[in-house]
Formats: sequence, C-alpha cells, structure tokens
Amino acid sequence: MKGCQSSRRFSAAPGFLIALLLCAGSAQASGAPIPHGTVELISENQSIAIGRPFYLGLHFQLEKGWHIYWVNPGDSGEPPRVTWQLPTGLSAGVIEWPAPRRIGTSSVVDFGYQDAVTLIVPVHAETSLAAQPLARLGAEIKVLVCSEMCVPGKTQLSLTLPIKSRPSASDMRTRELFAAARKDLPRPAPQNWKFSANEAKDSFVLVANVAPQITQAVFFPLSEAQIDNSAQQILQPQPHGFRLTLRKSDRLLKPIERLKGVLVVSGNRAYMIDAPVSKRGAQNNNSRSEIQEIESSREERQK
Amino acid sequence: MKRSTVYSMLVAVVICAAPLLLAAPKVGQAAPDFTAAASTGKMLRLQDYRGKYVVLEWHNNGCPYVGKHYKSGNMQRLQKQWTGQNVIWFTIISSAPGKQGYVTASEENQYLTNMRAAPTAALLDPSGEIGHLYDAKTSPQMVVINPQGIVIYDGAIDDKPTTDLNDIVGATNYVNLALEQAMAGKQVQTPATRPYGCSVKYPDATH
Repeated sequence: MKGCQSSRRFSAAPGFLIALLLCAGSAQASGAPIPHGTVELISENQSIAIGRPFYLGLHFQLEKGWHIYWVNPGDSGEPPRVTWQLPTGLSAGVIEWPAPRRIGTSSVVDFGYQDAVTLIVPVHAETSLAAQPLARLGAEIKVLVCSEMCVPGKTQLSLTLPIKSRPSASDMRTRELFAAARKDLPRPAPQNWKFSANEAKDSFVLVANVAPQITQAVFFPLSEAQIDNSAQQILQPQPHGFRLTLRKSDRLLKPIERLKGVLVVSGNRAYMIDAPVSKRGAQNNNSRSEIQEIESSREERQK
Repeated sequence: MKRSTVYSMLVAVVICAAPLLLAAPKVGQAAPDFTAAASTGKMLRLQDYRGKYVVLEWHNNGCPYVGKHYKSGNMQRLQKQWTGQNVIWFTIISSAPGKQGYVTASEENQYLTNMRAAPTAALLDPSGEIGHLYDAKTSPQMVVINPQGIVIYDGAIDDKPTTDLNDIVGATNYVNLALEQAMAGKQVQTPATRPYGCSVKYPDATH
C-alpha cells in the first residue's frame, strides 16, 4: 500500500494512472488495522468485466484468542457491518456468511469466527459501468472484536480495479482465500434430506431424515432469541437420521412458523436448514418436558 | 379461595418449577428474590421494594456498550428520570474478581460520583449469583419488575445494538416503553428482546 501512497508524487495524469494500475496489479495488499487484528478488501478477479458479476472479500486476520461475530452473534456481541462506496454501475449484494463456531462459556454462548475468516460478497457489474479505465471500491467496516473483553473498531478500506472487457483471475493467495471461504459456506441440504421441527413445551425438536449416519450436529439459528444459545443441544440417532433437541429461549414469547439456520454435522459440513415448525398437540401434552424425558432416559441408561 | 391458599399454591408452583428452568424467570413470572451488598455497604433485599417498580441494569464499566450509554449520559438520564418518579433502580455488577468490570465497593462509589450516575443503589454480585438467577447474558441488560413483583420486561436497553454514541438519538428505548405502558395500565407491547452488549463476566465454570 505504501507504493500506492507514493504515487501521489506523480503530477502528470498518465504517470498517475500507470502507478494506480501497478498498485492494482499487486493484490498482495496488507490489511488495515482493527483492534487485535487486520482486515483487508480483496477481489476474486484482478479486473472487473462489464456485465459480469464477481466477488469481493473481507479477509479478517485476528490475534490468537480474539473473535468476531456471525450474522446472528448469539448471546452477546454484534456482526461486522460494511458500508460500501461503489461507483455507479457496481452494486454489492449481502455477505455470504461461513458457518460459525460456538464461542463462550457455560452460561453465555456466542456465534462467530476465531483466528481468520473471509466474508465474501457478490458484486453486480452493470453495463453502465463502461467508459472508465478504473473503478475505485471503498468499504467502511465497523467491527466488534472480542476475547474475554470487547473492543469496537472502525476502518476504511479501498481497492482500485481496472475495468476490462474480460475478467482476469487473481493471484494464488487471493484464490486460496476465496476457495477457503467457499469451503466453509453452508450449502443447500441434499434434495432427499427432510427436516421438520416439533414444538414441545420448552424445546424444539429438529427431526432430520437424512441418508448418512450422523452422530454429531450443531444448529445455529439465523434469528435471535429463538433457542437458548447456551443450552446443550441433545442429539438422538434415529434409523433414518436423528432428532436434535433445542431448548427454547426464555425470550421467545410468540410462536414461530419456521426454524431457519445452519446445521453443522460430523465432518464440519454445513447445511442451510429451513424447517417448518408444528405443535405436538394434545397427544403429548403431559407434564414432563421433552428435555426431562431425554435426560431421565440418559440417566437410566447410565445406571 | 382464600388469599393465603392462593399464595401457598403459588409458592408450590415456584418451588416445583425452579429446578426445571435453571431459575431464569420468564416475562410474566415472579422476579426471583435476592439479597445483595450495595456499594454503600448496606444489604438490600428485592422483596423489600414490593409496591414499587424496580429496574435492574447489568453493568460492566469496561464494556464499550455500557460506555455508549454512560459517556453519552443516556443511562444517568434514565436513572434520574425514573428514580424521580419513585422507581427503584439497581445497577448490578456481576463481574467476577479479576475480570473486566469487577469493582470494589469504594471503586464503584468513585465511579458513580465521576459519572454522576444516579441509581437507587449499585449492587455488587462478584459471585454472579444474581446474574445467574436472572440469566443475565450481557451488559447492559435491563429487567423491569412491576409493583406486584412480576417481570414485565427483560432484554436490551434499546433497539440499536451497537457501541456507537450516535445511535442513542432516535433509538426506541424499551425500558421507557415498558415503564410508561405499565404505569398507564397498559400491556407492555415489547416485553422481551435479545439483550445486547458484552457477555457478563461470570466466574469461570460456575455451572
């Protein structure tokens, strides 16, 4: 980035353009500082092709022990926010969030990312973008970085890309960052997998009819205050899948129609889930709750 | 039915429910009683304030979300406004010793003076007992209890979950709404929200 700044010395326009092009070519930009880490704006393509969508990425690198947040941050914290400054003809979509991890203690659980994460964003390049050699892309980032304590940060990022008739691939490091980001994105569940949710007194039971044997699963709800984030999620294997019991949030006062979120199963594969919620009705209207049933049957097995 | 019978039935219900629910009260249920040391050295008991509205404010002086509401003077304004209308306001500090936000009584008294804060009392909860009793997740988390001792609001202070001081103007303050609606004899429209802020710094491995 230092090279970019020194280009201001060029007073003549052609020299300035050449310098900018050189800078844009070296995508090995170092990140801007945020509390306990850095964030860098990267582009999957080294140039923008008119009329063709492409991806930008926000690559966060954090000091050991620090984390940032998923779109639903869980019990505390907040997700990073980006305000784009894009030239006419370019429009950014929404962040595609990789599957998060559970971070926290026994009583307060957050959803987020430790060490490093790349948040990727699709960008639409309209045909009206033509007639300029370069596009300067800006992004204002607001991010909360936490370990035991939290520090809010704000930074301004920019990236200049040439506009060409054809896209050109980026360097190896950038390609690897995008590949890694996509690997962690939740994917649609296979067509033959079926999910539904039963609402019990104090829990939702996510019923999964899936082909492979799944022995581990963690559900991350997209909406806040649906499930108790810190409660243990109890998985019971079934002949054709599993049942995952999720304790309801104490702050869920109205019925919900769907349980949406990300399910991370054995082997760290993440799937998008959108399960219709149905009431169990009168047949199971006894005083014992679903969670109690499971816990007592577990105790019996241990005896 | 006699009043005492109803009361003993209620007690029975509370006793039965307690072990199942990990003690966290839901909105509409009785606020769990507690006794705590105020920073003044006095021991205060929640039950003694029956007949008045009580606000509980979870606090951590190092948390940027708390800082937003104190540096702007927003929290102090709310404290003055409501204690001026006979509402009891308890600032509760559930940070464990050695963790962010933990204060001794004299440090807290100094803080209250410096910040010109005006709660009825600041309660020291270094064991996290009261925090766990209310399942407090964040600072600031706000709970409003009505004169009958029922929780009528539990959640965020307002609808702008950020650390930005500029977000206070124009935010919908849920504590104000709950108190105003309840005092006007109305149903509280938004009785529960996701509290926002820093995680409460409980002692390690308390469960």
